[in-house]
Amino acid sequence: MDKLAKQLHDDAQRIDASVSDELERRIEASLRAATPELEGSRPAPVTRPPLFWWASTITGVATAVAVIAIANWRAPDQPVAPPVNIVAAMPSIDLNAETAMLTGPLQQELDRLQSDLKKAEEKVKQEIGL
Amino acid sequence: MSDELKLIAAAKAGSADAFADLVRAYRVRLLRFLLTRSPSYADAEDVLQDTLVAAFRYLHSYDPRWRFSTWLYRIAIRNAAKLRGPELVEIGDLRDQENDPLQQCIADSETENLWVSARQLLNDEVYSAMWLRYAEDMSVNDISRALDRSASWTKVNLMRGRRVLGTHLNSVAQQSEAYG
Repeated sequence: MDKLAKQLHDDAQRIDASVSDELERRIEASLRAATPELEGSRPAPVTRPPLFWWASTITGVATAVAVIAIANWRAPDQPVAPPVNIVAAMPSIDLNAETAMLTGPLQQELDRLQSDLKKAEEKVKQEIGL
Repeated sequence: MSDELKLIAAAKAGSADAFADLVRAYRVRLLRFLLTRSPSYADAEDVLQDTLVAAFRYLHSYDPRWRFSTWLYRIAIRNAAKLRGPELVEIGDLRDQENDPLQQCIADSETENLWVSARQLLNDEVYSAMWLRYAEDMSVNDISRALDRSASWTKVNLMRGRRVLGTHLNSVAQQSEAYG
């Protein structure tokens, strides 16, 4: 034991502490009044036995298998729509008619403008005497 | 089976007398420690009483692999901390010098008690570690269990505590030489 350790040890012993009779009586009285918790009164640790683990695993697997089986078993019962040929089902579009329909009004407008232009030219020619 | 283990077994079965016999040897030691950790003598006595009652009540949780004194100190340290409350971090800073139980208990001593300086220089946990090591001769493992700290923390802080107190002792020695 070195010097510091010895001094600490000796100084601790020099602290004059004593348990008075009154304190002793108080402690004994409070000990008698206290009820120790017995080992059995503690709540049991929540540990599942291995059987529980196996039971829950088997139940889970069985449930998964049952769900898959039911899903596959019910599938043929469901009404199945006949296959639809999408190309056939699509309404055929007459591209030429469509083009004519789209360009028709423009063509008419163009004809009117050309006619107006022609009339205007004739009118100008008449006015200037050509 | 040792006498202590027999008393522990009897106390676990509910015998208050067996428990009183069991802790008789520890009461003064615990009180001495608590006097250094409490603001008054009455508080130290109250903490001692609470500690012993709690130990009796929860004796079923005592693990015989530990020293019984380690377990008791662990409870005492917690109870002393509860007495001070969270706002009083360092007991040494707020002590009333006149009512200081430690000063009262060493009043007759001629030389300075190093534990008074230790209380001013070290924080609570390091002080407790130093006390358990040098006043109670506990091993590092027992101290770390009592303080709920790792063994490496305990070793490091014991070293720091020693260094602080060693420096303090040297300065005191130099001052006394200077004053002749």
